[in-house]
Amino acid sequence: MLHTKIVDTKKEQIKVSDAEKFIASSKFGANIYFTGTVRNLNDNKEVTGITYDSHDEMVIKSFEEIYNETEQKLNIQDKAVFIEHVKGYVKLGEMSIIIAVACKHRDQAYVLSRYIIEEIKKRTPIWKKEHYIKEDSQWLKGNPIKT
Amino acid sequence: MKIVLELFGASRDFNEKGHIDFEIQKPILIKEFRKVISNYLNEKFKGNDSFLQIVKNSAFCSEENEIISDNYKITKAQKISIIPPIGGG
Repeated sequence: MLHTKIVDTKKEQIKVSDAEKFIASSKFGANIYFTGTVRNLNDNKEVTGITYDSHDEMVIKSFEEIYNETEQKLNIQDKAVFIEHVKGYVKLGEMSIIIAVACKHRDQAYVLSRYIIEEIKKRTPIWKKEHYIKEDSQWLKGNPIKT
Repeated sequence: MKIVLELFGASRDFNEKGHIDFEIQKPILIKEFRKVISNYLNEKFKGNDSFLQIVKNSAFCSEENEIISDNYKITKAQKISIIPPIGGG
């Protein structure tokens, strides 16, 4: 069971309550919520916010691929996974991503949650432009996608 | 044929419209198209090495949302996305 979405911050907010509703089930005994937020310091620069850019179709496709491969790679069949990532401007302290997972047991839930965020970092086409108090805004370097 | 290069991430600084249109005379490999983009940037932003590095380090994505290799041949007018190094989360 999978939910994915790109949340455009100009139009709506990303909310943990949506994740709670999605993964709630008596089938699962372990729920984990991972949220990423904009932090105040990066490379000794004081950050005021981040603008996220996204190739929407590729992002959703990568979320689905990551979810689908967990069955074989992690041997986790029964699961609920909720992934939302923002695009647009996000202020300091606000959320950029929610990954919520529900599994039968806690070992599976921890492994699954960690796997999803690490794979997103490696292959999901999302970009960050950081905004600072003193310096000019800057696109972060990132990791090249393997072809 | 017209190839519309859709810009993402750091490549958005290439053009404020979010895309660059290229008129190409014949089928072209991605590795050749990469040179066409670099030539365009060299002409428009002389001496901006960081822009050239972005092109060098980027992947490309077809209209069908598939990551395509340097040996992929563009044979018809279409949108191609440039995918600079990523960093979400």
